[in-house]
Amino acid sequence: MGFWLELAASGLITGGIYAVVALGLNLQYGLMRIMNISHGEFLMLGAYLTWLAHTTLQVNPLLFMPAVALAMFVLGIVVYRLCFQRIARTAPSVEVIEARSLLVGFGLMFLVQNLVYLQWGADLRGYSFLTETVEISGARFPANRLAVFGFAVAASLALLAFLRWTLFGKAVRAMMQSPTGAQLVGIDTAVLHPVVFGAGLALAGVAGGLLSMVYEISPSMGEPYTISALIVITLGGLGSAIGSLVGAFILGLVEAFGMHFTSPSLKMLLSYGVLVAVLLARPRGLFAR
Amino acid sequence: MSEALLSARAVSVRFGGLVALDGVDLDVRAGELLGMIGPNGAGKTTFFHALSGVLVPTAGRLVVAGEDLTRRPPHVFAAHGVARTFQTPRVFRDMSAAENVRFALEFAGRMRRHAHDAFDDAAAILGFLGLAWVASLPAGALTPARQRLLEIGVALGARPRILLLDEVAAGLTQPELEACAQLIRRVRDELGVAVIWIEHAVRVLMNHVERVAVLHQGRKIADGDPRAVAKDPAVIEAYLGEEGVAQRMAA
Amino acid sequence: MKTRDALAATLGCGLALALLPWLLSDFVLALVLSCLMYAALAVSWSMFCGPTNYLSLATSAFFGIGAYVTAWGLESMPYLAAVFAGGLTAALFAALVGAAVLHLRGAYFAVITFGLGELVLHAITHFEKTYAHTVGRVISDPPGGEAIYLTVLVVTLAAVATAILVRASRLGLALAGIGADEERAQTLGVDTRRAKIAAFTLSAFFAGALGAAMAVRWTYIEPLSVFSPFIGFQTVLIAMVGGAHTLIGPIVSSIFFSLLTEFLRLRFPYVFLLVLGALLIALVLYLPGGLASLFTRWRRIRV
Repeated sequence: MGFWLELAASGLITGGIYAVVALGLNLQYGLMRIMNISHGEFLMLGAYLTWLAHTTLQVNPLLFMPAVALAMFVLGIVVYRLCFQRIARTAPSVEVIEARSLLVGFGLMFLVQNLVYLQWGADLRGYSFLTETVEISGARFPANRLAVFGFAVAASLALLAFLRWTLFGKAVRAMMQSPTGAQLVGIDTAVLHPVVFGAGLALAGVAGGLLSMVYEISPSMGEPYTISALIVITLGGLGSAIGSLVGAFILGLVEAFGMHFTSPSLKMLLSYGVLVAVLLARPRGLFAR
Repeated sequence: MSEALLSARAVSVRFGGLVALDGVDLDVRAGELLGMIGPNGAGKTTFFHALSGVLVPTAGRLVVAGEDLTRRPPHVFAAHGVARTFQTPRVFRDMSAAENVRFALEFAGRMRRHAHDAFDDAAAILGFLGLAWVASLPAGALTPARQRLLEIGVALGARPRILLLDEVAAGLTQPELEACAQLIRRVRDELGVAVIWIEHAVRVLMNHVERVAVLHQGRKIADGDPRAVAKDPAVIEAYLGEEGVAQRMAA
Repeated sequence: MKTRDALAATLGCGLALALLPWLLSDFVLALVLSCLMYAALAVSWSMFCGPTNYLSLATSAFFGIGAYVTAWGLESMPYLAAVFAGGLTAALFAALVGAAVLHLRGAYFAVITFGLGELVLHAITHFEKTYAHTVGRVISDPPGGEAIYLTVLVVTLAAVATAILVRASRLGLALAGIGADEERAQTLGVDTRRAKIAAFTLSAFFAGALGAAMAVRWTYIEPLSVFSPFIGFQTVLIAMVGGAHTLIGPIVSSIFFSLLTEFLRLRFPYVFLLVLGALLIALVLYLPGGLASLFTRWRRIRV
């Protein structure tokens, strides 16, 4: 019994990370039609920032998360201003915005990844944090995984609450449903877009920071998460934050159990299979309105 | 000749909770000139979407020339002779007017080579519409009125059996309206193409068609001789909010 | 340019290029080879993605599949057969994937094709480890330099010729219609699904054939190197800089880029990729039509 619990738990823990990453991507794509294919690279940046802070300044990684979020938020605004703002202004249609944002994201992916390669090389890096084992009803977990899970869930729920109950969150949702209508009532896209983009990157960075507590990091660690985030968004439906949350846990569980019954290196195949299956059966996602 | 060229049976279209079309029946015979009117939001354009395969109806059947085409993709409808224009002209902006028409001739038109071959090339079609002089201009550079005419030309390039015209006379002056109506008559008279014509300029339409169908809130509420429909109390009531329409119909 | 003239020009250039192995040093020949490969990749990518405005990042997947067909098959079949088989396998794969995902547009399609590379990479890695008990493969007894060059040249010429023919064909017209207004094209009789799958498959064939042909230049093949996203990235960049809507744009641009790559990539790999990334961003933001658009802007009719 303990074994199955551990398996399910590891799936949920992965799912927690996926949720944080997917929520960020969902915000960006849902609001601005920016499919930020470089999203994973900012996850990687967050991981490196945390690693750096912990190994050079001995800062507790968990306590450092808000700093990572802030740093990535600011970076996000800068990146948006430099790289994406112009697209929205000069593109003749939504499809062109999507296509160009994608290409820019593609370029960003190479840019960011190689900046990190340049600075820290290709070797794996890591540190130990909270590696003591904790026992819960017969199942054993490393404490750091529990911490990651807890933090990820807390962050996701906080974001959901923010979207639901604060004025700003409502503005974001209004914008996602009807851009013109939102603008007519005075919501300013010039402010909203960079902020939401920054928030998306902040989420990615936090996810990366959390991951650095558990796994080793490398400059190429980000790519698979971008794909997983897309799979989650597809599962949960674009524009649905709850969908992303649920979809993330579903994917995490599918991967955990799938890997156990087949083989760890088939993880990508499994996730991809899930993606294609969902796209074929329900092109707008499981939860799409 | 009782066999209908196009037959729509109980066609319904739902978008989530919104009912755009509710059980619409319509038969169109070969060579018929049928007008379709109704207040804004009645579902006329949605009906055209269903008739051309662009939208898959939530319920109902669509039979064209004896074949059930329900749920087939738009190119199958085009291959069976259903051609249409759109309310906002959708021409290929970067191609010339002639290239636009040639596009239709090359695809749907080619599949229907054995149909009436009155028009063999883009030049002939554009000439018929009075657009010969803009043949080599990019379609995106034409005025909206001419783009609408071009759309008709493109639709004719598909060698249709039935032509769905969606408000092609929008924004025209009175003499232009008459010319447009005459053109539509000629399409039917000279080419033998059946036409369903949606129009807001109700009086002009009523003067030129031999049959009119009225849609209101997704349902067909009248279908028959224009004079009889104009006096139909249900029709008058449907239009009651629309200023002057009732008088215009009775004129 | 008329189709016949374009084909003649292609053949003429091809004949001239065929003489090079006997005129140039090995080093320069390798440069030309690399240039041919990128030109062929960019041209075949533009065949589908140019007119339709779809963004496919699947080139790496197709290239890698072709490379592995050679890695697995070179011992049991002649080099040319392996190249052809590589193209065919990639094409088949593209047809299957295309049938599943080509109804998507924009960002979704792009990210899915991006994931394809990762997917095939992991699938082959797993397969090799589990059934062949190996990580990479050694190509023993590869064909000579001249054979490789001429084969790649033939594939490149075939890609360019196919691109010319498609542009002048009904399929090319259909693709242009799909790019302009897909729904409109459907109402005018275009079976858009079939047209897209056909062009996507065709484009994949050449990428696969190139992978199969180039694989023999690396004596040791492993998934990480042949399924590198860089190949897809470079292809897109070249096509976009040149102008994906034209034929000559990607060809000219590939000359420039292959030179750049050869001289910089090995010496400063990270800086090189960094600069390319920045270049793509700048390009998309300030010159989305590529360099070719600077020329066409002059010639457009004003009404």
